[in-house]
Amino acid sequence: MTGDDKVSHTGSVTHTGSVFDPELLSRCISCGFCLPACPTYALTGDETSSPRGRITLMRALASGTLPPDDPTLAEQASFCLGCRACEPVCPAGVQYGELLEQWRGFQWTGRRRPLAVRFLIFAAERAWAHRIAGLLRGAAHAPAAAASQRSLMLGCFERSLFPQVSRSARALAPELAVPSRQGCCGALHAHNGEPDRGKQLARQLGAQLPGQIVTTAGGCAAYLSAVIGRERVVELSEYLQNRVTGQVRIGDRLARVALQDSCHLRNGLGVWREPRALLSSVAEYVELPGAAGCCGAAGTYALVRPRDSRRVLDPKIDEIEAAGIDYVVAVNPGCLRQLRQGLRRRKSSVRALHIADLLRLAAD
Amino acid sequence: MDKAVSGMFACLTVLRETRIPRPVLAELRAIAGSENLRLADGELAVYARDATPLFRGMPDAVIVPADAEQVARILRLATDHGIPVVPRGAGSNLCAGTVPLTGGIVLSTVRMNRILEVAPEEMLARAETGVSTMALGDAAAAHGLFYPPDPGSRTVSTIGGNVATCAGGLRGLKYGVTRNYVLGLTVVLPTGEIMRTGGRLWKDVAGYDLTRLITGSEGTLGVITEVTVALLPDPSTSRTGLAYFDSLTQAGRAVSGILTAGVIPSTLEFLDRSCMDAVEQYAHLGLHPDAGALLLFGDDGDEAVVARSFERITAVCEDSGAIGVQTAGDVTESEALLTARRCTLPALSRLGSLTILEDASVPRPRLAEMVTRIDAIAARHRVTMATFGHAGDGNLHPTCVLESAEDTEGIARAERAFAEVFRAAIELGGTITGEHGVGAAKLPYLRERLGSAQMDLIRRIKTAFDPAGILNPGKLGS
Repeated sequence: MTGDDKVSHTGSVTHTGSVFDPELLSRCISCGFCLPACPTYALTGDETSSPRGRITLMRALASGTLPPDDPTLAEQASFCLGCRACEPVCPAGVQYGELLEQWRGFQWTGRRRPLAVRFLIFAAERAWAHRIAGLLRGAAHAPAAAASQRSLMLGCFERSLFPQVSRSARALAPELAVPSRQGCCGALHAHNGEPDRGKQLARQLGAQLPGQIVTTAGGCAAYLSAVIGRERVVELSEYLQNRVTGQVRIGDRLARVALQDSCHLRNGLGVWREPRALLSSVAEYVELPGAAGCCGAAGTYALVRPRDSRRVLDPKIDEIEAAGIDYVVAVNPGCLRQLRQGLRRRKSSVRALHIADLLRLAAD
Repeated sequence: MDKAVSGMFACLTVLRETRIPRPVLAELRAIAGSENLRLADGELAVYARDATPLFRGMPDAVIVPADAEQVARILRLATDHGIPVVPRGAGSNLCAGTVPLTGGIVLSTVRMNRILEVAPEEMLARAETGVSTMALGDAAAAHGLFYPPDPGSRTVSTIGGNVATCAGGLRGLKYGVTRNYVLGLTVVLPTGEIMRTGGRLWKDVAGYDLTRLITGSEGTLGVITEVTVALLPDPSTSRTGLAYFDSLTQAGRAVSGILTAGVIPSTLEFLDRSCMDAVEQYAHLGLHPDAGALLLFGDDGDEAVVARSFERITAVCEDSGAIGVQTAGDVTESEALLTARRCTLPALSRLGSLTILEDASVPRPRLAEMVTRIDAIAARHRVTMATFGHAGDGNLHPTCVLESAEDTEGIARAERAFAEVFRAAIELGGTITGEHGVGAAKLPYLRERLGSAQMDLIRRIKTAFDPAGILNPGKLGS
């Protein structure tokens, strides 16, 4: 067996040279402009855990310079948050997120896939279960009336974890249809070693939901756009621009509110002004110094690497505590869960809310 | 020259000549702590290159010391055992200055990253070597002060690396380069002595000017662990503008016009059409779609002075046949233009997978002539050459863009073209590198630029500092 070959879990031999799209991999010129943007490089100061370093590793895997079972490859494919903060700062236009999907597609096959990821993908595949859970938990439900309508995407886990989010979204935008028969967008699969299955699910969802798809999850918005086209997907804060009225008050003053960006919404879709504009219109908006940086939720990351996830989260909770705010707002359910856990551990008085819920507070 | 060319590109793969004995590894671990010594193949592979294409060398270890004391112990150990040590900041240099060509230890300075003081009354700052250029600039700005050198990679590059390469940048014309701001250094010699050169004084002629000798020494004489830099008052106003021309040669003539009109702009940069396209793709600034060249000018200082210099620059550009002149409305817009210019090189890689850039510099009056020569050379060797650079100080970055990094025939043509570019620069009274450094990339051309007497002296200086020849082998003077 040459260095280029590896035996996959099914026993078949594949060439590591075909793990990556060579055109994407060749973009990086190693200038290092990504280093200051990378949260894991900030934690370690080790270039191995920087975007440039990881691309060097991907190239070593593709060329056979490193064997497929090299432990640094496994560690770095997993240690990366996948936040894509390196993309907007990259003048060469490297599509790092896409490369990471391809990398994980190789590293996380079969038994090499983390247990937590296997469990989540298993759960996400049970669309009927989400449907029942959503109904039991009272997620929004409104069958489509006309085919040209816009529909609200419920999200596989948001539906049961945060059912009030879809209710708030629908209260703010009553014209949205909410078919209960809708599956997962596939982002979970794509980011965790099953890029092909991810694309398949995204296309399925695109077919299930008529017209433009409004989503309350930044991560799903970015992934869905990448597969079925940007024109078919609107994230909720984009959709609600200039449509929200009212104020969020605490006693006789405006509430002080900060935002935690969704990494993929910001770095993948370039949507970050919109939620700020909405929050500024209903409350006193406070920009956290690290609002644009990852909170450590990063999809499955908080479950796969809880310790590293907390190392990323802790300084953010410090900032939230120091900012003297009432609410910190998330635009993605994973971030919401992460912030709530972090704030609870600190016994903080700051509340974490989804943007739909905060805007509904203003409207009420 | 042809031999030199083949030498320059022959470094694609270098055999690992050194292995570190086990007891030495144990000592390294004891010095920096096991978490700061990296030995896994994957970890080493990442440090085998820097921002320079085509040069690679696998290190045998990467060590990340915390302070000068640890650096001293590492260097003493390396000298005793004859192990190469390659100091590395952010690894953003463009001359293969941090590639461990013969293996050995890569010494990363990232943990030495504290700003130690900003002293407004003395107008200086003191920082550890691994502080980023931007962080140092921001710390100075917080006190109403200004650190002028701003290499394109300032967001990532370290101050120690800037000193080691004597980095330039966009403000070189008016403010000079890194060497003009270095007041003092703490340097660890390869034999383990911790030495302080210069200090906090503007006037100090006690002894040879070792501060200047070490500035630009590319990690071959000692490891810089602390830097004291001079600062200036933060200019109250700064503005940026653009002028478009039909050709780069025409823009070059406008530059000469501006510089003889009694104005020293803080920034005077130019980009040819290919560079404009690449930058536009990345930054979406709405640059002129048809112009052949762009001149980016800027000035800072007192508001009235800036206004006057803008009037003059605009007038000269119009007289020189500019097809359009725009001035940026506000600070954000100015900053966007400058940021886009700093990103030109990486943005160029959108045009092809391999970009090889050069750094020739010529006396200002020969700029237009040099531009014409570069065009002719590129045509003769059938290579795509995009040119941008610091027009005001005669420093050009002709950049070869190739479709694929595997295009060996194309690389060979690029080599031959660059050999001629260097020769043309030297003929016009210029130099082979203005600000990127010699590193491994331009060492083969150095003798031609300096002559034998100077090269021999450089060798003797190197031996005096580094008798065992462990520091950054394959670079200046070794």
